[in-house]
Amino acid sequence: MAKKKDLDLMESGAKVKIGATDMVVRGIGYFLTTFYALACIFPFLIILASSFTSENYIRLHGVQLIPHEFTFKAYEMVTKSGLIWKSYALTITMTLVGTIVGLSIISMTGYALQRKDFPFRNAISFYIYFTSLFSAGLAPYYLLMTQTYHLKDSYFAVLLPLMMSPWLIILMKNFVKQIPHEITESGKIDGAGDMVIFVRLVLPMLKPALATIGLFLALGYWNEWYQSSLFLSSKVDVKPLQYSLYEIVNKTQALKQSVAGQYISLTDLPTETVKMANAMLATGPIVLLYPFVQKYFIGGITVGAVKG
Amino acid sequence: MKKKVLSVLLSTAMVFSLAACGGSSNGGDSAADKTEATTETAAEDTAAAETAESTEETTEEAGEATEAAASDIDTSEHVVINYMTTGDRPDGKSAERLDEMLAKLNEILTEKVNAELQIYYIEWTDYLANYNLTLAQMDGSVDLVGTASDWLDAWPNAKNGAFLALSEDMLKTYAPKTWASVPADHWEMCKYDGDIYLMPEDNYAQWTNHGFTYRLDWARDAGLADGVHSWEDLTTYFKFVKENHPELKAVWDSDGTQYAQMANGWIASHTNFVAIDGLATGALWGGTKDDLYTVVTPVMTETDSLVDYAKMMKEWDEIGVWPTDVLNNTSSQNRDEYRVGQVAAEQHHTQTWTDLCSKTEANTIYADDEKAESGFFYFGEETDNVVALSITHGAMAVSAASEHPERALMVYDLIRNDPECYKLFNYGIEGVSYEINDEGLRTTPEGYDSSTDNINGMTNYWWGRNDDIEIRDASRNWDKIDELYAKYDKVKIDYPYGQFVPDVDSIQAKIDNCNEVYTNYMKQISFGKYTGTAEEIVAEMQDALAQAGIADVAAELQTQMDALYK
Amino acid sequence: MSKSNSAEAIAVPHKKRGFFGNIIKYRTLILMCIPAIVFFFMFSYMPLPGIWVAFVKYNYGKGIFGSKFIGLANFEFLTSSGKLWSLTKNTILYNLAFIILGNVLAIIMAILLNEMQAKIFKKVSQTMMFLPYFISQVLVGVLVFNLLNYDTGFVNGILEVLGMEKWQPYADPNVWPVLLVIIYLWQQTGYNSVVYFAAICGIDAEIIEASKVDGANAFQRIRYIILPSLKPTIIILLLFALGGIVKGNFGLFYNIVGTNSLLYDTTDIIETFVYRATMTDFNFSTASAVGLYQSLVGFVIVMVVNGVIKKIDPEYSLF
Repeated sequence: MAKKKDLDLMESGAKVKIGATDMVVRGIGYFLTTFYALACIFPFLIILASSFTSENYIRLHGVQLIPHEFTFKAYEMVTKSGLIWKSYALTITMTLVGTIVGLSIISMTGYALQRKDFPFRNAISFYIYFTSLFSAGLAPYYLLMTQTYHLKDSYFAVLLPLMMSPWLIILMKNFVKQIPHEITESGKIDGAGDMVIFVRLVLPMLKPALATIGLFLALGYWNEWYQSSLFLSSKVDVKPLQYSLYEIVNKTQALKQSVAGQYISLTDLPTETVKMANAMLATGPIVLLYPFVQKYFIGGITVGAVKG
Repeated sequence: MKKKVLSVLLSTAMVFSLAACGGSSNGGDSAADKTEATTETAAEDTAAAETAESTEETTEEAGEATEAAASDIDTSEHVVINYMTTGDRPDGKSAERLDEMLAKLNEILTEKVNAELQIYYIEWTDYLANYNLTLAQMDGSVDLVGTASDWLDAWPNAKNGAFLALSEDMLKTYAPKTWASVPADHWEMCKYDGDIYLMPEDNYAQWTNHGFTYRLDWARDAGLADGVHSWEDLTTYFKFVKENHPELKAVWDSDGTQYAQMANGWIASHTNFVAIDGLATGALWGGTKDDLYTVVTPVMTETDSLVDYAKMMKEWDEIGVWPTDVLNNTSSQNRDEYRVGQVAAEQHHTQTWTDLCSKTEANTIYADDEKAESGFFYFGEETDNVVALSITHGAMAVSAASEHPERALMVYDLIRNDPECYKLFNYGIEGVSYEINDEGLRTTPEGYDSSTDNINGMTNYWWGRNDDIEIRDASRNWDKIDELYAKYDKVKIDYPYGQFVPDVDSIQAKIDNCNEVYTNYMKQISFGKYTGTAEEIVAEMQDALAQAGIADVAAELQTQMDALYK
Repeated sequence: MSKSNSAEAIAVPHKKRGFFGNIIKYRTLILMCIPAIVFFFMFSYMPLPGIWVAFVKYNYGKGIFGSKFIGLANFEFLTSSGKLWSLTKNTILYNLAFIILGNVLAIIMAILLNEMQAKIFKKVSQTMMFLPYFISQVLVGVLVFNLLNYDTGFVNGILEVLGMEKWQPYADPNVWPVLLVIIYLWQQTGYNSVVYFAAICGIDAEIIEASKVDGANAFQRIRYIILPSLKPTIIILLLFALGGIVKGNFGLFYNIVGTNSLLYDTTDIIETFVYRATMTDFNFSTASAVGLYQSLVGFVIVMVVNGVIKKIDPEYSLF
């Protein structure tokens, strides 16, 4: 329809400069991407180098791009108690479980909500979207989780709330919409039920969407510290990785800025290098997730392949 | 029809949460009821004990009383008492050390009161939110609550029902030694609306008045033979250090949060103003030493002095006392830098100085330079304006939702007054975490590792330390410390507003706004970062404060103070 | 309360088949939505009545609904500060800049990456773009300070070597809107572009092939095929962003601007102000009251925009 018209317009467009424009776009692309990528890796290198620099040097000269007075001391401090490995195991487990369960629910819901014949789609969409606008605030949420659901000190208090968000569901709905209608129609003609159509025909088409939303979910779990700080008290031995990082990195400033800082004089506050080492360890493996997800982005969907 | 479904869903949600919130408030009342019918055994007449001897006597008498009482108290059920404190939970080797100590302590507690103690940590980051949330939970997950009126919301929590009102009977029966050792006038300061909510840390010498720690040896080089004794001396000192010690990272690697204490300190040094604690970050409202119960606002009235302050701070900024971008210098670790000789000053309270002036392992300045010495210029030195710490700066409360408030009190009584429990809880196991030397001072044993064996840094017991049992730390520079404490004792007044717990509901919005305005201007003034003249900036601040309602707050406080004291 | 009314208003009954008829006919689709419906009921709707806390003097012992009703007193400090308007304005303007520039840049990045042929380069650079997302805001604050501070900052080090005048951004409120937007873009673009990248991958490859056969160049391909196909994604992103347009990014502002009052004129947002003003007066009611104010403004904006979109093209509206 509209696309056809656009293509017609293009026919009359300048055919002469094809090669040149493509080259220009690519050239700009390589330049901008390289520039931006370098800007992104730069601070990371600083953190890496600083984590190997002696504390004394950092205090005197600030963070550096090249390690000075090279030392593993910060990493020794971080790994000393051995707790960090347990945190790794916990975070990885939660990320896997949460992402898989969340992704299943989100994709099911997304599929149902984009079906144009589904009469409740608007009501349910609103029901879900509404929650992104209004929240009751900290105290009611906390009391509900602890007093009614009894989730204090339970890993479920971290696992469950992150499983889905209105944004991810609506995004999924949008992705499913992109799948050509012919596919679901062909299933219907064959007499397949909604569930069968979804699992057999729709899911395989959704790889880029599943990869994207799965990635967002996984990142959400990996970076989570907030729920942990609320619901996992000191009675819980093993905390998620980023929570430990959050504690270590924020402690000094939080104390300084608070009223307590005027009275309490703590001696063993975490040093800069320990913060940096923690940041490195806490980021670690998740960086490797992205290249893995990327392969699902290559090659789009072709209706032809299905129809043919 | 869908309309109905949704409204049913929503109203169900409401009913559920109503039920959830309503059902939680029972524990406290029943506990209070139970205590009504208890015996009165503790001797009331021993309450006001002043000298060391009579204190000891009291303790003994009260001790007998406990035993007598204990036999009447039903302790057949073994209970776990959760003690909530701020701090980070130890891990690894430190956690093992802590567990060893707790195992030993719990043996004693089980034997004496059939209870054991568990520590519930509120981690430092977001401590205030988590502290309040845990209290709001009201499900008995904590029993003993370490609290403070000046930095840990003790009064707001007493007001909002988080703490159990402790009846005299209850205290006499279950915490007899504590009851006896705290004088009656101190108990008065722990009352809100006629009920006792806090058990104060009132028998522990500590000074949290602020001031500057500086290098006394360098001050002498600068021509201040006696050290620094005024703000003007500080100017001389800073100028000298800046010119003569280029090896330093900074004269004072200050961060942007120091403004509050500096401004308060200036006022203390130039007036006889006594601030009311806990209302705002800055010391905005209070009385004067001659007339304690008339509310004044020096920030509005002491214009000339504030202009002088603004000028002096501008001068300091020009000298280069602090980094240019001091307001954003949040990650600086000035205290650690002072220890190793990278800076020449640290602004914090006397307690911090007692550490910095001592030749401990961490303070390498003394090993590096044998002439090194740390002096302390305390705010208010010029006018002898020193106010002792409020006794509720550290206090223990019992959660209103505690299922075993009596046992919680019994446990507290032991860790506060029983030497064996006290030492275990504060210092750890003798021979592992501490030793006592020939002079009766506390030292560290062979093979002691401060990063894992320091029990004191793990139990964070700041809510009932007791000088009768305290063993002095041998590493502290007691000669200098005692000298300063003696000086304080001569001039100090006790914190006069201990009983004044204002009801601020009607003026809270104004207090918040004054606080915000004051903070914003005082930061610029205190680091000399304002544009225009000193007169202009002070006038501008006063206008903004007037708009924010500083006078209304003062008037309301005056009304409430009159009701209490006149 | 007010919430249930607005929710009811939307649930207009479906006319054709009758409610129960529809339930039976679409039972599978309904079942597919049930886990999500239960989830949001449990974690989002159940706490909602507790918003009442914004109107009471919260007493822990009595619970939210047993506490004393005090009307709008919890909103008072916000209105009486005289800053409500300027704070709301700052918050909205920053968010607009973040939304517009953030999405434009993310789209450009996604399209450029899509045009590239070198697979390794593409993979490596895309992974690198993701890195800033993992750096915690506190460390971002530390890094920015190390870069920009007057005495020892990296930038001033270079300026000094070049013999130029040193730059003192931490005393100049006017440079911060630009700096904060740059920092935001730096941190978020890699993440934001993933959505667009995935959307581009979802475009029917046949159309793109056909356009190539027809001789369309890169610009034309982007202009006439890729951009129109991103429209639905852009619109939902926009609608979600608008709902939160009065909610500021506390972590970013607090960690970078900190409590430097010299910069508040241009950098103070609702969250940072509330955080500072209530530092010595911790209570849950004030925070909930402020949240409610932000939600209401966001709600109105979203309803209006969604209505407009629905008028123009119902396909793109959210509900």
